[in-house]
Amino acid sequence: MSPEVAGIVGIVVLILVFLLRVPVAFAMALVGLVGFAYLSGAETALSLLARDIFDKFTSYPLSAIPMFILMGSFAFAAGISRRLFDTAYYWVGQYRGGLTMATVLGCAGFAAVCGSSTATAATMGKVALPEMKRYNYDDKLATGTVAAAGTLGVLIPPSTILLVYGYLTQESIGKLFIAGLLPGILLSAFFVATVFFICLRNPASGPPGAPTSWRRKAVSLTGVIEAMILFGLVIGGLFAGWFSPTKAGAIGAAGALVIGLVRREISWRAFWEASKDAVRTSCMVLFIITGAVIFGHFMAISKIPFVLADWIAGLPLPPMGVIGVIALIFFIGGFFMDAMALIVLLVPIIFPVLIALDVDLIWFGVIIVLVGEMGVITPPVGVNVFVIKGIAPDIPIETIFKGIFPFLAALIICTIILIAFPQIATFLPSYITY
Amino acid sequence: MLEKFEKFNNRLSGWFEWIGVAGLLAMMLVNLIDVTGNKLFNSPLFGAMDLLQFSQGVAIAFACAATLIVGRHVQVEFLVTRLPNRGKAIIESIDLLLGLGLFVLIVWQVSLLGYYYQAGGETTYTIHIPRSLPAYGIALASIPVCLVFLQRFLSSLTKVGKR
Repeated sequence: MSPEVAGIVGIVVLILVFLLRVPVAFAMALVGLVGFAYLSGAETALSLLARDIFDKFTSYPLSAIPMFILMGSFAFAAGISRRLFDTAYYWVGQYRGGLTMATVLGCAGFAAVCGSSTATAATMGKVALPEMKRYNYDDKLATGTVAAAGTLGVLIPPSTILLVYGYLTQESIGKLFIAGLLPGILLSAFFVATVFFICLRNPASGPPGAPTSWRRKAVSLTGVIEAMILFGLVIGGLFAGWFSPTKAGAIGAAGALVIGLVRREISWRAFWEASKDAVRTSCMVLFIITGAVIFGHFMAISKIPFVLADWIAGLPLPPMGVIGVIALIFFIGGFFMDAMALIVLLVPIIFPVLIALDVDLIWFGVIIVLVGEMGVITPPVGVNVFVIKGIAPDIPIETIFKGIFPFLAALIICTIILIAFPQIATFLPSYITY
Repeated sequence: MLEKFEKFNNRLSGWFEWIGVAGLLAMMLVNLIDVTGNKLFNSPLFGAMDLLQFSQGVAIAFACAATLIVGRHVQVEFLVTRLPNRGKAIIESIDLLLGLGLFVLIVWQVSLLGYYYQAGGETTYTIHIPRSLPAYGIALASIPVCLVFLQRFLSSLTKVGKR
């Protein structure tokens, strides 16, 4: 069997092993190991397995990931999400669909201190869904909004997926983070507009809440200040070149912990639970990266990425057409796989294609995160939808999926606008020189 | 018997997770001391990067068994969940056997890597932490993962045997 054929067989076997429900990280490591052993010998493959595990587990560039995950866990334990939602509610709650708009704004705010889509959806779902139920909001609108707005978590900096993408493509983490800011704000505006139009067509789906005084509105802003300070310190410090991404994450984690302690929100138990949650998520993410690196070694010696690059470069399509094809592959893959796993698996394979097409990798990172995130809200593997189902077990899963579709349309329109106007993502990074 | 085995695994993984959490918090602390020392006193923590890498190795490796137990690793669920119980059990036993095989190889090969580092006297660049230490740590932390896979494999075999 030629290396190329072995590579194709490896990809098919990997998909089969995924379908057998072997964890994605272990599946990639196993198939990569066996494939590498087939092409280079068992001894070399086994030695590579040990070195890859050791190198990735102790990798300095990857150490930013556990720190930003810890920051998100402490931010949740510190009650930042609840206060952000309360503030947004006091400002827009009296309008039609106001609670769902507050949820979107709360998710956007929490995304500024948390880099995970699922964590943002879960956190805001626990806070917002009971309130929306109390005000007789339509289940479809309520659950769909929370699941979809959770995707803001990985677009607005910090973002764990952009961190991993930056590691895979060797792009500046600072540039990637700032590149997600304007698209994140744009997507938030699209989600708010979606809620507005849904409630315009069907006013009963989002009845207005009680009006609040200007004094209460003003006082509620204190709930935003702490998140703004934390965001400013972490992301500002990163952009100003004061900290490396790892140090920025650690400062953010410590800052969120201090906020929780000062506000007496974090008990010993909450501290332990948040730390455990963070270490488990970090373990999951680093294992996926390690598995992908092992599989990537197999792909490299099978020459598949280069064959693929030559094939795509030879297609009678303009570069944007090729990007469209790649985005479609990510979109379809997102139906079956988690966004992080998908990006870790596919980016190294398509990387030579991107280089050959001279694609702006910062802009492409934002596009791929958006497309990958469509997968977390679409069936059959819509992780955010399952998270919301866990929070609201009385609402049928079909209802949540139905509620997603208007927001999926907003996500697709936002992606198309970003493809048409890349400057939205590349404008701010152009001011960073490192 | 299998229940006792499961309880033992849960307890062992819980202890190891404590070590993992300590590693993660150590990462935060090392960074904080380094940044504070550097920005306020112009004196960064000597060997911060070595300590950070070591702590990260400990955090990730020692949390692996607990992460597996709580089902945190990402899986593609949509096909197997549609199968009848017996079919699910058969596929589950194949999954678990593959996982067990992978982690037995990890224990063996990372131990060998540790021995190789120890024999060569390899250390980190600044504060000279022996590189064999995190390697042996990763190998040791992978043992409870093997035990979890083994216990679950044996349990799944009993499910396959049931009509």
